[in-house]
Amino acid sequence: MKQRTYMKKLLLCMAVISMITGVFLTGCGEKSQTDSVSDGTFTVGFDAEFPPYGYKDDSGEYVGFDLDLAQEVCNRNGWTLVKQPIDWNSKDMELSSGTIDCIWNGFTMNGREADYTWSSAYVDNSQVVIVKSDSGIKELKDLAGKVVIVQADSSALSALEGEDAEEENLQLASTFKMLQQVSDYNSAFMNLESGSADAICMDIGVANYELEARGNKFAMLSDHISSEEYGIGFKKGNTQLRDQVQESLNEMLADGTFDQVAAKWGLEDSVCLGQAGKDAVMKAETSDGVKESSFGTRFTEIMKSLSTGMLATLGIFFLTLIFSLPLGLLITFIRMSKVTVLRWIAKIYISIMRGTPLMLQLLVVFFGPYYLFGISLSYSYRFYAVIIGFALNYAAYFAEIYRAGIEGVPVGQYEAAEVLGYSKTQTFCKIVFPQMVKRVMPPVTNEVITLVKDTSLAFALAYTEMFTLAKQVAASQASIMPLFVAGVFYYIFNFLVAWIMELIEKKLQYYR
Amino acid sequence: MKLLEMNHVKKDFKDLSVLKDISLEVNEGEVVAILGPSGSGKSTLLRCATLLETMDEGSLAYCGTPATVNTDGGKTEYVGKNELKELKNNFGLVFQNFNLFPHYSVLKNVTDAPIHVQKRDKDEVIAEARELLKKVGLEEKEDSYPCQLSGGQQQRVAIARALAMNPKMLFFDEPTSALDPEITAGILKVLRDLADEKMTMIIVTHEIAFARKVADRVIFMDGGVIVEEGKPEDVIDNPSNERTKAFLQKLS
Repeated sequence: MKQRTYMKKLLLCMAVISMITGVFLTGCGEKSQTDSVSDGTFTVGFDAEFPPYGYKDDSGEYVGFDLDLAQEVCNRNGWTLVKQPIDWNSKDMELSSGTIDCIWNGFTMNGREADYTWSSAYVDNSQVVIVKSDSGIKELKDLAGKVVIVQADSSALSALEGEDAEEENLQLASTFKMLQQVSDYNSAFMNLESGSADAICMDIGVANYELEARGNKFAMLSDHISSEEYGIGFKKGNTQLRDQVQESLNEMLADGTFDQVAAKWGLEDSVCLGQAGKDAVMKAETSDGVKESSFGTRFTEIMKSLSTGMLATLGIFFLTLIFSLPLGLLITFIRMSKVTVLRWIAKIYISIMRGTPLMLQLLVVFFGPYYLFGISLSYSYRFYAVIIGFALNYAAYFAEIYRAGIEGVPVGQYEAAEVLGYSKTQTFCKIVFPQMVKRVMPPVTNEVITLVKDTSLAFALAYTEMFTLAKQVAASQASIMPLFVAGVFYYIFNFLVAWIMELIEKKLQYYR
Repeated sequence: MKLLEMNHVKKDFKDLSVLKDISLEVNEGEVVAILGPSGSGKSTLLRCATLLETMDEGSLAYCGTPATVNTDGGKTEYVGKNELKELKNNFGLVFQNFNLFPHYSVLKNVTDAPIHVQKRDKDEVIAEARELLKKVGLEEKEDSYPCQLSGGQQQRVAIARALAMNPKMLFFDEPTSALDPEITAGILKVLRDLADEKMTMIIVTHEIAFARKVADRVIFMDGGVIVEEGKPEDVIDNPSNERTKAFLQKLS
């Protein structure tokens, strides 16, 4: 009989999932067509941490070479410029859904020729390697056995291990101990500075800017990894808007405005707009559709590429629980201690853990040892930091749940135990603890389910768990399918968690 | 032999003086009923006698062994933790709200403390516990959980639990106040049987009729002092004190 109810539930769950899938996929079919700038606003998508092309300056304004160009193009067409900072991993979704009109942000064309409708190339850029000045790394072959950082889905990444990477670069990358992806350059430099990475590969323009801003702690290797070109990426097929923008750019080149803006940002040596052959990609655009593979094969491919992320997520989940559940109990004891000082320490701890974002706590745990105590970080510390950060945070929540559970045990239970001669330890272990466990099951279930979803915050430390990986795969496949698969994974995971917790609660139902 | 000796007990809660110089002695085999209106201090006296509450002043001894250090009328100091634990073997307490352990079966409620606190032989304790459950009429309920029992049944388990520790005397804190009148009779029957077996008992109660039948001595408390004390027929049927008279009149 019991088996039957579980089957029913499972079937119900499946039905819900397939319904969501249906809605989701139909939704994707109806893409809105916003080929031209209809309402007079021109929305530029850019990564807000990519100086000097587009970034937030000291006064909090979004500025940069690309944004200045975009502004000038808007002026010439009578459009209003909207600067829309985007998550680099989500750029394709932003573009296809029409929430941005173009990606204009030091956007590398190489390897992406067929994925977008391109303007002509306007910057010739190369990939270079940044190391700590005192690292002893002088040339590319010194990078053997080192941890190298690149930005997720950056041109440095595709130059080193993308489909179109040159043989030479693939070999170079294979000598690395690890090619680590981070979400932005600031955390890349924090990783490098704290010793958890040895080198960063990045665009030369960005590298020059960063080196100037960060002083002589860092140095650039004289060997370059590859050269590449930047263009403005429009939604595939949106040639109408591309032509309008390109026309304005050509005008700007002709009247010298383009070179003025380039000089303002120190890019006069890199710009290449109007040079011979730089519009080859733009002109070569064909109207081939994107090759479609069957839903089934894509699904299995995605599952395959996401499987390491699933394991990482499960790892974070179980290790966090193993450490935080008992740690929470310890904090409860300190919180309920008779010693006022201890009680206050626990109170402050809980208050901080609950009052600040978990993501910030993870950053503090990871980078704290270096920035506070100057301890150089080893690569493997990344994973430990994730577990320590999660365990410390969840322990605070569990501590308060336990406390409520303990305080809910009637005082008569303690008195009965006292009169019967139970020791303090016996009273807690035999009488209070079992009753507390029963009382805290519903709120603990809540926390555990939140933890499943919170594991995705590990991306703050560039630890590649399920969701980070899904975003990376989604970006490289220019598809939202991986994100959807990730959603299904979290849902099924949580469904199982809730089911197991319910079983435990039922087991404890033999008394009230 | 005197099983309980309390002398010049005083207890204040903040500014409220709850016990004002109370002395109480109980002899082996004696059944003492403590009567009195709410707030008269009878429950506090019981809690001091069972070490759930500390006295401010006064002395306390079980079976001739002192639980307090003689401080000549100053603030009460208790003997060490281990000695107190030893002294707790002398008495048991039955609560108004039973306070059974909800996560233990009836049998485990009765046997757990003798096995794990007194470290007695498990099989022997279980055999004894079954006898006790039979005695309180619950021999068929040993595998039930407290939530599956009626209030009266729970209170009988609580009595069996207290008796399983082989105490020399039993304290009862209003054992029937949380029960329906028709169930009360069953509990009082158990207490009668215990009295017949010469169990020493100190019972805080509102059951005047029961006190008259079972108690060897009745104590009437009011305002933190013992107002009247004596044989039940004297205190209950011919009270000499005005406050006792008023209290008994209200009840009848």
